[in-house]
Amino acid sequence: MKIDFREYSPNQRIAIIAASELVGYKSCFVGIGIPSDAACLAKLSVEPELNLIYESGAIGALPLSKSYSTGSPSIAHGADMITDSLSVFSDLQAGRIDVGLLSAAQIDIFGNLNSTVIGDYDDPKIRMVGSGGAHDIACLIPNLIILMPHDPRRFVDSVDFATSPGSGRDIKKIRDQLNLAEGPSILITDKAKFIMSDEGWLLHSILDNFTFAEATEGLPWSLKPPITGPIETDPAIISALEQINY
Amino acid sequence: MIDKTSTSQDAIRNNVNAGDTIFIGGFGHLIPFHLSHELIRQKILDLTICRSGADILFDQLIASEIVKKVIFGYVGNPTVGLSHSFSRAYKKKSVEIEEWTNQSIIMRLHAARMGVSFIPSKILQIGDKPSNIDYLKQIKCPYTDQKFSAIPSLKPDIAIIHAQLADKYGNIQMWGIDGDTIEGALASDKIIVSVEKIISNSKIKESPEKTVIPSHRVSNIIELPWGAYPSYVSGHYSRDDNHYIEYDTISRDEDKLSSYLKNWVHDARNIEAYKKLIGNTKIKELEQGLCGVKNEN
Repeated sequence: MKIDFREYSPNQRIAIIAASELVGYKSCFVGIGIPSDAACLAKLSVEPELNLIYESGAIGALPLSKSYSTGSPSIAHGADMITDSLSVFSDLQAGRIDVGLLSAAQIDIFGNLNSTVIGDYDDPKIRMVGSGGAHDIACLIPNLIILMPHDPRRFVDSVDFATSPGSGRDIKKIRDQLNLAEGPSILITDKAKFIMSDEGWLLHSILDNFTFAEATEGLPWSLKPPITGPIETDPAIISALEQINY
Repeated sequence: MIDKTSTSQDAIRNNVNAGDTIFIGGFGHLIPFHLSHELIRQKILDLTICRSGADILFDQLIASEIVKKVIFGYVGNPTVGLSHSFSRAYKKKSVEIEEWTNQSIIMRLHAARMGVSFIPSKILQIGDKPSNIDYLKQIKCPYTDQKFSAIPSLKPDIAIIHAQLADKYGNIQMWGIDGDTIEGALASDKIIVSVEKIISNSKIKESPEKTVIPSHRVSNIIELPWGAYPSYVSGHYSRDDNHYIEYDTISRDEDKLSSYLKNWVHDARNIEAYKKLIGNTKIKELEQGLCGVKNEN
């Protein structure tokens, strides 16, 4: 279905595209915020088999009201199972969880993510929250999708601190040596989808009704025109959108 | 069997020493606010506080200048923003830190619980590693030659946690989101627990599968209903998200934070005073909320 993406908020646009990417997966490691919204949207529409797994230990959750913490009542309420964090991180390390969604304050061309400091580690301009489970997910999840609002300040040549490791030729070589997962393979912004290559992110496609100039505006990376035309969106995703509209 | 019921004042005074390493329980759920506030009221200094994901209770302990070191995977006000007192202390270098990740903190506690000095893991081998955990070593598996991080054990002197129920002997019953709470408690040398309600041992025996920590590991039990506010307790009350949102504004300003700490910590010496601050309207509202008294699942 061709949709006018301009009718939707930036976060909704990211959730719509991310939900399409979750088709075929059975288990998804999610954090709070846009990742959680996107996974809920997929579960409610195109991938009913998807089990949402939160690091707090909640499995099979479907939070339909706003969640502030991964341990919030809306995550616990209606979950199929509540275990402990050690169990879900163990499943993650064993490769038993299919796909993960992450966001961060900064991202670079190789998909390194920063949620630790803006500026120097020992003398930062902004001291942020730290990794949480993000580093762990970025090392271990077999399929990693990054979700980032298109805010040019967040897109950099090189992150100030690589909290969560990226991919690309050099990092992938080290990942292979250490028997780690491949790292980020897809980046979704509110204007475009990118895929990882040896040289870093390639522009894959642009959301319907947005231009190349808009999709790349302010991004410090040199990007070629998209590989394909706009992605088809299943109308079921759009229909389910109102259920997570909180 | 020994009756281990106590007051917050006596439990903290008799179990915590200056310089101790304290695991603080609660992963969004069951955060032991009121019992931990007693550390501030008794001004027990030079503490090392640790857990995986920490929220505004850590901010309050740091703001109160009783913390020497923070060992963590995350410190913030989830979704709302940063831990402003932590950020200020970090920049002023008035606290020492050891910055891990949530998984590595949990594995550190698990190693201590298992009585081993490290656990191998795939994480923390790539990406930027904070200089304060530079001592982390890499090892080679003797069977496969695969390289792993040797995640060192972390054995706290004491755990402070909150749970739903206990008997007077210290059998702890807890359900809902656990996160790293039970792991951290069982990793620690001593455990003190505030609970919503103390029940009889015969009631405990009706559902022993709900008991997550046995009495012989517990030093003291304190009945503190609403002691986990503004976090929540499944089956009792929901989370006060607005309190967390307002705390963001308050904690940005050190003067406003001082008066907050005076009201909610220093002057709220007992749980009755704490409940009075929460107020009856809010109490009724949160009891009806998600995971509250009648809306548990």
